[in-house]
Amino acid sequence: MGDRPLVTLRGITKSFGAVQSLRGVDLTLAPGEVLGLVGDNGAGKSTLMKVLAGAVQHDSGQITLDGRDVRFASPADARRERIGIVYQDLALCDTLDVASNLFLGREPRRGPFVDRRTMHRKAAETLSELHVRVKSTYQEIGHLSGGQRQAVAIARAVSFEPRVLILDEPTAALAVAEVRQVLAMIRDVAARGVGVILITHRLQDLFEVCDRITVMYEGRSVEDEPVSALDIERLVAMITRSGTAEEVA
Amino acid sequence: MSAPTASAPTVLAETPGWWERANKATLAMAAVTVLLFAGFGIGADNFLSFGNISNLATQVAITLIVAVAMTFVITTGQIDLSVGSTVAFVAVGTAEMLKAGWDSSLVIIAALLAGLFWGAVNGWLAAYQKIPPFIVTLAMMSVIRGLAQLWTQGFSVPIDRRLYVAKIGEAKFLGFSALAWIALAAVVLGAVLLARTRFGGYVNGIGSQEESVRRAGVNTDRIKMITLMLAGLAAGVAGLLTAARLGSGSANSGQGFELTVIAAVVLGGTDLFGGRGTMTGTVIGAVITGVIANGLTLLDVSPFLTPIVTGLVLLAAIWVNLRGRSLSDLAAHLVRRT
Repeated sequence: MGDRPLVTLRGITKSFGAVQSLRGVDLTLAPGEVLGLVGDNGAGKSTLMKVLAGAVQHDSGQITLDGRDVRFASPADARRERIGIVYQDLALCDTLDVASNLFLGREPRRGPFVDRRTMHRKAAETLSELHVRVKSTYQEIGHLSGGQRQAVAIARAVSFEPRVLILDEPTAALAVAEVRQVLAMIRDVAARGVGVILITHRLQDLFEVCDRITVMYEGRSVEDEPVSALDIERLVAMITRSGTAEEVA
Repeated sequence: MSAPTASAPTVLAETPGWWERANKATLAMAAVTVLLFAGFGIGADNFLSFGNISNLATQVAITLIVAVAMTFVITTGQIDLSVGSTVAFVAVGTAEMLKAGWDSSLVIIAALLAGLFWGAVNGWLAAYQKIPPFIVTLAMMSVIRGLAQLWTQGFSVPIDRRLYVAKIGEAKFLGFSALAWIALAAVVLGAVLLARTRFGGYVNGIGSQEESVRRAGVNTDRIKMITLMLAGLAAGVAGLLTAARLGSGSANSGQGFELTVIAAVVLGGTDLFGGRGTMTGTVIGAVITGVIANGLTLLDVSPFLTPIVTGLVLLAAIWVNLRGRSLSDLAAHLVRRT
């Protein structure tokens, strides 16, 4: 890590009418790195990630991917550059089985028919590689626990072989054991060389999986520190801007 | 960290047992069907005769053809109330075209296209203009039947028995009517389409969480429109066959037909809220509605009892189908903008 960055954002701004949501954000991400993105509600984390995922177009600033300047006009553009995002609502279908959800929109076919056998075999392989614990690929998504659903959604994003994977609050509303499973999965994904950006309000998760943390405040990136240099009090102070970080430390 | 590093796969592509996969509502209705057959078999001696079973298949056929298509519509979370009117329109159209001297093969094509056209109108308004399908098809139900009545001025239009179209209504193969065979073909086609193709998967997915399917890059509006076009096409087939069987086209045919069809689909276990469709269930549901009508006739009760019983069966079916949700949830679901 720490060699050539995978993604560099420089001075990203974005306004929605009179509201300036992003006022100049800098961010870097290396391959295989897990970056925690934190900040209070309304700090602009989600908007920034939507810019990176192509769902929102920024006004000014620069996105550099592997040394090339890029600009995404649509989510499809970002997907083509292998940037994956798992939104909070997961985009799963409750009444379909695990394999159908994993391959939604790109089901393997034999002639005009869905090749179910291949689909379920591949799904089992993909999920097993990521140590996801689901009894069978034939289980309905609606019958799974929150953690399992989250795991399937991440596995789905991973199966597109992303270079960058953005996770929006993946551990919100999960039981303790399930949080551990999802965090383990994030580390697995990063170990494959994928750069992971983790948005979360659960600060203890950041200390478990992140290599580095970027703090946003009122549309700006204000701090960027390796996790090893932080403790939870200092991080809280950085997020709430209750005095500068130095004073607290 | 406690990440499991065992080399054994954590997930298996293992098919669960048939009991786990089976739609429980469908299973219950299969049991009800067996009971109905046993009950009517004891109550009316000729109920279980081959002649009556063959007759029953013919009576069920027209409902079943439309119910197959309606299964797709309901599984996407939509509804089509206009199928009865489309049946009347196409029946009238068939009779009028034959009267005007059109060739039978041309009439068949025109009849199917007419059904498809009304389905496309419903589909475009519901899927692309985002008007709730309940409202669209309720309005079209009135429009389409009105057009049929305007066309015939309320008179029934007779069909010459010697024409090819009329013969379809009487043809028999291996003891069963052509209608029954056409219905069987529709069921097989529908079952394969629903369970084995991407289209079928998306139909279920849309009924469950449309936004998820849309974000996976699927044109969900188009799929919703296609399901309503299928319903229109099926109603076209049903209208043609109704005219062929009765030997006339009447603007009053197919009254309340949409209720019988919806009852059949819902009875079978297809979820009224969408996301869960079963073709086996639809066959069972259609057979139940048919058996009740047929059995009551054989028991020699008043024919006016049939619509009462059918209505009560529909009510019971919806009640069972709600599965713990309230009727107001259903009302909200049916008139929502999608």
